[in-house]
Amino acid sequence: MRIIGILLLLLLILPIVEASAETSWTHEFEAGYITTKPLIVDDTVYARTSGLWTGNEQPVVAAFDVFTGEKLWSFASQTARQNDMTPLLYVDSGQGSCGVWEDLLIVGWVDGKITAHSPKNGSIVWENQTGDNFRGITGQMALETDRVVVPTRTGLSTFCLANGIELLRVETESIGWRNGVTVTEAGYVFGDEAGNLHTVTRNGNLSSTMLGEGKIRHAPLETRHGLFVHLQTDEGSSMYLNGSILGKMGHSPAMPLMHENRIYAATSDEWISILCGENTCAIESTEPFHSNGELSLRVVESGLEVWAPSNTPEGGWGVFNQTALMRMEHTSFDTYGTAAPGFSSGIVAIGNDAGTLQVTNLGFVSENTTQSESGTFEVFLRATILLMFVFTIVFLARKDWSTASKFGSAFLLVVAIVVVPDLSVKVAEQTSPRYDVEWDESWPDEWQETQVVVFEIDGITYAIGGLEPQKNVYDLTVIACQELDIEPQIEQQYLGPYLVSFNGFAGDGWEFMLDGQRSPVGMADAILDDTSIVEWRPA
Amino acid sequence: MATCLSGNTQGCAVARLSMLGAIGTHGPTVSPAVMLVLYASFFCLAIWLLVKPHRTEEKWLWPLTLLVAIAAVSRIAMGFIPNVMPVTILAVMVGSKFGIQRGFAFAILVTLASNSVLGHGWWSVFQILGWGSVAALASVVKVHDEEGRLLMTNLAFASLWSVPVFSIVVSLSIIDSGMSAIEFGLYLVNGLLFDVLHFLGNLFFAMWFGHSFERLLLMNGPHHQLVQQESEHVSTL
Repeated sequence: MRIIGILLLLLLILPIVEASAETSWTHEFEAGYITTKPLIVDDTVYARTSGLWTGNEQPVVAAFDVFTGEKLWSFASQTARQNDMTPLLYVDSGQGSCGVWEDLLIVGWVDGKITAHSPKNGSIVWENQTGDNFRGITGQMALETDRVVVPTRTGLSTFCLANGIELLRVETESIGWRNGVTVTEAGYVFGDEAGNLHTVTRNGNLSSTMLGEGKIRHAPLETRHGLFVHLQTDEGSSMYLNGSILGKMGHSPAMPLMHENRIYAATSDEWISILCGENTCAIESTEPFHSNGELSLRVVESGLEVWAPSNTPEGGWGVFNQTALMRMEHTSFDTYGTAAPGFSSGIVAIGNDAGTLQVTNLGFVSENTTQSESGTFEVFLRATILLMFVFTIVFLARKDWSTASKFGSAFLLVVAIVVVPDLSVKVAEQTSPRYDVEWDESWPDEWQETQVVVFEIDGITYAIGGLEPQKNVYDLTVIACQELDIEPQIEQQYLGPYLVSFNGFAGDGWEFMLDGQRSPVGMADAILDDTSIVEWRPA
Repeated sequence: MATCLSGNTQGCAVARLSMLGAIGTHGPTVSPAVMLVLYASFFCLAIWLLVKPHRTEEKWLWPLTLLVAIAAVSRIAMGFIPNVMPVTILAVMVGSKFGIQRGFAFAILVTLASNSVLGHGWWSVFQILGWGSVAALASVVKVHDEEGRLLMTNLAFASLWSVPVFSIVVSLSIIDSGMSAIEFGLYLVNGLLFDVLHFLGNLFFAMWFGHSFERLLLMNGPHHQLVQQESEHVSTL
């Protein structure tokens, strides 16, 4: 009987076990580092190696089956001999003014060559050679309609996706390194090692702006407030927004990335989260961390994860939410690393300077499979509950009170575990005192049909509306505080952000009302409508 | 309440706190140094309670150590299910078997051990008092007969009465000077659903594992008691 009891307990933790079920495989490249993000497309993962090739070793690009790790193909450069640091670029089939192309995997090489491979077998579809054969292509390439935009050591080229013919070539007067390019309305924007920001129009006109003394080693980010650049300087680094300094940070900046209204950056000293509001962008939080390479984003059920490789002997990957470090991920081959992980649904592919690629299948292969497994578990759970109920009745009928009480208690417990948490939230929502949300006549008419935030701080009411719509109370609160010059103190806790004080007033704590009602969830999970009114008041 | 013990009022999806935002968080914020002193004091108290001479001749050391380990580990392992853990029912059995003194020591050790993983705070004090109170009450309202045999009916009943005892004592942690008795009552009422879960969890552990726990309690006891218990343990499966 006790074994049955233990089995029942195991049943309760089955969802947890199921969620953590995962498989993974690793592939150790013969030589070299992995310094760029592995790409996962459908059931294939693509990775490349980088290094200083002094002997017989060669840099390779290889494709593997995501699930089994079987190597599908491999291509070795015969000529590249320095660090290959250009991220791989996958192009879906299409057509344009210069022709028609199938799916392509485009690889930029440090010897200035660009090769377009068939993702299926690695065969070269076309190739071309730029004029820079030493540290030639090291920056992130970009796509525009029917062409690939390639920054090189001394300029920029574009190539037709259909046949690799060079469509445009512009020379700058300075050299670049990891000088990724961004496609904007004005043209192609990229930086160089002298702190210049170059813009090449589509007809080939070059204009350059000196941003500051330093090196631009990433693709500039286009925000609604202008271009964001993290400039590496002798003293550390400077973050520029639309030509103005946003902040001075640590050494050797990583390649920043943007998601919605936030920019994520990193240096040897810190990880940085920048929030872009109505008027400008501002640093919202920093965390001590050492990351100098790529960053990547992963959208999970609980929100957004920002992964940053730790470029330290201990290695690992820091996993951040929008504002703070949540956890570290480690492998058995941790060491220095600058490559961001690649993600697809339920798959994580990571590599580092050990030259080992690890691909982890987190257990939910596809949405359909997940639903199927989830459905199976539901059926199993219901069948178990039903069985326990039947056993209870049977043993009651046999007047075996002891066994009936065992099955009866198990039946009631499992039912309660399933029902109580959701029921509790529903009861809270129903019984929570509701306050009428009245439109304050003193508020400007422009605030009508927009999100409005009201703060009651130390007896003074502050209000702001007309802000750009935000998804949750947390984001709206932070932006409203920026606009009203209120200083919030927010702690990142395990369950999410916790508001400690406004302008130093902590009191007995703070609570928010969303459209006149207390929220049963935290501010990061409280979802807003376009016309929501959020009121912050002392608890 | 266990679901709220992570310290995030605004993020805690528990009925009690969402109803009564004015209550604040989980009591006063105590500095780490003060908490350290407090825990050290509690630990010393537990040791003193264990080594202090006791009128009975129960062989308590190994059973108690083992049950503390089981209670702490299972509480941590089952932390994802709010309020379902064998700690309360074990507090009842230890209190009933070994008395208030060992029962309170059990409560201290389990709380300090499990909260070292789950998180310490002001609430730890009240959890100690909560389980300590349950053990103390069980030393009076026993679940063993005069010959030391486990009474399953009493244990089932203890699954019920231990819940409000623990719940009320733990909830005292949120009282501050501005809270009225009605507010406190409302706070308790709003946690009733989780108290039901607590009760059903207690009942489950009592029914399924009560006899196993009892055997552990008796592991160093007189042999005839073990034989007696074993002969009574009859199952149809």
